[in-house]
Amino acid sequence: MATSLSYREKSLYASLAAEIFVYGPYFLLHRQNSVNNVAGMIIAIIVLQIILQSVIAASTRNRVTDERDRLIELRGYRAGYLTLASLMVIGLGLLWFHATVGHLQLESRMIGLHFLNVFFGMLVLADITKTATQIVSYRRAL
Amino acid sequence: MPAIRNQIRELRAVREMTQQELADQVGVTRQTVIAIEQDKYSPSLETAFKVAIVLGVPLEQCFQYDPRGKR
Repeated sequence: MATSLSYREKSLYASLAAEIFVYGPYFLLHRQNSVNNVAGMIIAIIVLQIILQSVIAASTRNRVTDERDRLIELRGYRAGYLTLASLMVIGLGLLWFHATVGHLQLESRMIGLHFLNVFFGMLVLADITKTATQIVSYRRAL
Repeated sequence: MPAIRNQIRELRAVREMTQQELADQVGVTRQTVIAIEQDKYSPSLETAFKVAIVLGVPLEQCFQYDPRGKR
């Protein structure tokens, strides 16, 4: 039986595509060496999300959401929170390690940017986990 | 075998009702009706009652609980 995508599913696929398109090059191509790049990336993801979500909202007649959508949304947020909490524990452990052993040798100007990228990366991973979990939940039995 | 099974597909077919028509009258998406019919989602009690009312049958004719079923 054919199962077309609901409004929420289309929205999630668009979000995931935007996240991968913007965050992927930023983190994988080592562009984390400037505050301007961070600002540019944030502006890019906001603009891209507004455009994509507007197109999907305009092209979808039935934008009803129901209890199943809300349940899947909660599952996504739970997975995102667990990812963020786990990464925070690992990040704090690494900070403690560097503070204790003292191998982190960065210019003072770069320290802030370094931690900005680390914590921003954690947020990005948690957000991608949340969106991916929601997409998978739509395809699996609840 | 799922714990909660249903006869929505058969009851809908008898009434020549589409998934979209049932979804609109119950207030859920067509994808949720599909998930319920395929036993991939157990609806809330409120939605289960609404489905039974729209189909014009008692709740137990629409949904059955099997204590030996999964979940």
